[in-house]
Amino acid sequence: MLDSLLALPRSLWESLLERLFFLPPFPESIDSLALFSLLLVIGLLIGEWLHARVGWPKVIGYVLAGTVFGPSLLGWISIEALAQARPIADAALGLLMMEVGRRLDISWLGRNPELLRSTLGDIVLSFALIFLFALWVVGLTPAWAAATAAVTMASAPAVVLLTIDEYKAQGQVTERVILHTAISSAASFVAFAIVLGIVHAEQNEGWLNALAHPLWVAAGALLIAGLTSRMALAIARLLPKRSLAQVFVLIACALLAVGIGRMLAVPVFLTLFLMGVLLATHDPQQTLRYTQLPEGHWLLAIVLFVVVGASLPWQNFTWLTGLQALGLLAVRAIAKTAALALAGGSLPMPKRLLVGMGIQPLSATAVFMAYEIASLYPEIGSSTLALPLFAAAIMELAGPALCRQALKKSGECESGTPETGGIA
Amino acid sequence: MSSTPLGEFTDSAALTLGVELELQLVSRRDFDLTRGATDLIGSLDYDGRYGEIKLEITESMIEISTQPQATVDGIAADLGGLRETLRHHSQRNNIGICGGGTHPFHRWPERRICPGERFDDLYQRYGYLAKQFTVFGQHIHVGCTSADDAIWLTQALGVYVPAFIALSASSPFVDGVDSFFQSARLNAVSAFPLSGQCPPLAGWADFVEHFSFLQACGIAQSIKDLYWDVRPKPEFGTVEIRVCDTPLTIEQAVALAALAQSLARWLLRTRPELQTAKQLHVARYNKFQACRYGMAAMISDPIALAQQPMQEILKALFETLADDARELGCEHWLKALRHGIADEAGDAAWLRAKQQEHGNLNDVVREATERLMPPPSKPSAENS
Repeated sequence: MLDSLLALPRSLWESLLERLFFLPPFPESIDSLALFSLLLVIGLLIGEWLHARVGWPKVIGYVLAGTVFGPSLLGWISIEALAQARPIADAALGLLMMEVGRRLDISWLGRNPELLRSTLGDIVLSFALIFLFALWVVGLTPAWAAATAAVTMASAPAVVLLTIDEYKAQGQVTERVILHTAISSAASFVAFAIVLGIVHAEQNEGWLNALAHPLWVAAGALLIAGLTSRMALAIARLLPKRSLAQVFVLIACALLAVGIGRMLAVPVFLTLFLMGVLLATHDPQQTLRYTQLPEGHWLLAIVLFVVVGASLPWQNFTWLTGLQALGLLAVRAIAKTAALALAGGSLPMPKRLLVGMGIQPLSATAVFMAYEIASLYPEIGSSTLALPLFAAAIMELAGPALCRQALKKSGECESGTPETGGIA
Repeated sequence: MSSTPLGEFTDSAALTLGVELELQLVSRRDFDLTRGATDLIGSLDYDGRYGEIKLEITESMIEISTQPQATVDGIAADLGGLRETLRHHSQRNNIGICGGGTHPFHRWPERRICPGERFDDLYQRYGYLAKQFTVFGQHIHVGCTSADDAIWLTQALGVYVPAFIALSASSPFVDGVDSFFQSARLNAVSAFPLSGQCPPLAGWADFVEHFSFLQACGIAQSIKDLYWDVRPKPEFGTVEIRVCDTPLTIEQAVALAALAQSLARWLLRTRPELQTAKQLHVARYNKFQACRYGMAAMISDPIALAQQPMQEILKALFETLADDARELGCEHWLKALRHGIADEAGDAAWLRAKQQEHGNLNDVVREATERLMPPPSKPSAENS
């Protein structure tokens, strides 16, 4: 049908080609960048429509656009286009991870024992229950069960931040959702580095890779984060606080870290998260403390979530994996809500449970971490990591809604009807 | 005493004191105002021994109020206790708390009205003014033994409104810019229809009649509708001075209470002749002068038909009140307050100096939170 539609323009083009020698041959396919840009606009429109009509977080619309037009369904976004967009997605994820790192206030844990209990509970219970589920119920090997637990134990910083931003939420539930998300992300990154070693040990004869790779990842991320955060602070100190120039320095240094991380095969999300933490904790003069990312990070977020949506392997979906993924999510939800419920403290139980609900999102980082491990052992990893990928796929759609519901029920969203126009 | 919608005037012991402070709740991340009042108050584990900690109109404010106290030292002890209680709970909730009459750079449309029938009613009645009312003041209650004394003192204290404004001014920044005012907070209060000063009244019966008139006109339903600079508070048996900005330190708030108590004692003891009607002609001008220029204000005297610099007025006032302050045992607090008479020594000047030093207002608020709640071992040096 498409060919018959194109027949007339093709013949017109070819007749022109005889006289206009500069014309290229009739384009057989749409340029991938042009197509991707179109899809971004479609993603944006779906996100805005869902937000305005149904009140859903915009992120869901972006993921839906990626899923529908990606390789798994319509195939309009090709694997090549996805690869081309990956640097932009990495930059978007990196900036959001840096922002979460900058918001991690570890000193709060020292001032509030209940938070220490709940965060430790979240980390330990989430990892342990998911590991046991993957090992005993799904039947994965210990190493791959640990890998599954490492990538899915954390909440999704990007989703949480964007949802909070979108609904302009403020309050104890909001603040605690951010803290739990940041700390569980940090714990997940540590677990991820250790699991890399375990996976290597299981797959290879020698111990060299098992020891060297986690070290490479951890030390590399720390080194890049340390250098780029120092560089950002040193330059920013010369500029007025909160100036546009400081914003530029912050973003430029973050992108530099993304670039170096990609070059050295060090996970971007880990590097940028550490950079954010260092920027927050090693800034005695508060040089960059108040410098915020511009609203434009929403544009990058669209790219990120369209790419994530398109990366989800729905073509490999089976009912068994789907059920297993649901089981994993149920176990994870139990772990997180139990950790919050059992921690006690001054925040009333209903609000603690809302924190537990707000930290359910699982997304971009888990997807990228899963692909990171799977790429090392494609013959085994891609099938074994289907479980966390499907769990992430389900939560890509359900997670933002759960987070938004938690914020709304806590009464911490800005009152008034949501804006129907604009991006953020 | 008559029984009206105002209620009975509850006689209280002469010159007892009570202090209310409206405080700012700020995010420890960027020091902008944050919505945290309901959570903070909800998580309080506090037996009320130093007074109350309660909600104010928007979610970014709380109000603390002392127990009624006979002495200024009692007020200092209560405010100190309330500060320690707040320190503990605000740290647990990761919320910063600071003084100051305005938040230097918050955006008022982002404020949210606290849950509650009264707050909702205010929002419905005053619209956006209610959100713009996210300003922070100190109210000082002085106990009166009779309702007639309270009405007399309300009018007598009206003359000293500019002095209280100048000494407490701590709101030079609004919407992120220097307003050029020392106290910009009162401009938000002036927008309310019943703000201003008490008219000439012979006594309590006159006041009841005046209030009934306002009520009959549909203007006021309760005493809370009168946003006067100084107003009687029948249920407490006090006169309430409402023009002070919340100072940046607890010590400054105590010193202002000492001034109120000493001044009330001197007024009630010497009973100077009131010229309320004449004072009303210059009241708004003098208030503007004090808000705009603080210690550098020129105050109009409708009796002497002349203007006088605020600094001279204050120096003379402190001389006049010395004996009463000594009798009340609060002269050390007044001495601390006298340091603020110098042109550049007040809270507004401190805020501007910090803005100059840091080049941004986030750091100014950060330092203001440390100034209100210095570490327990470190006394707040500037006011000692």
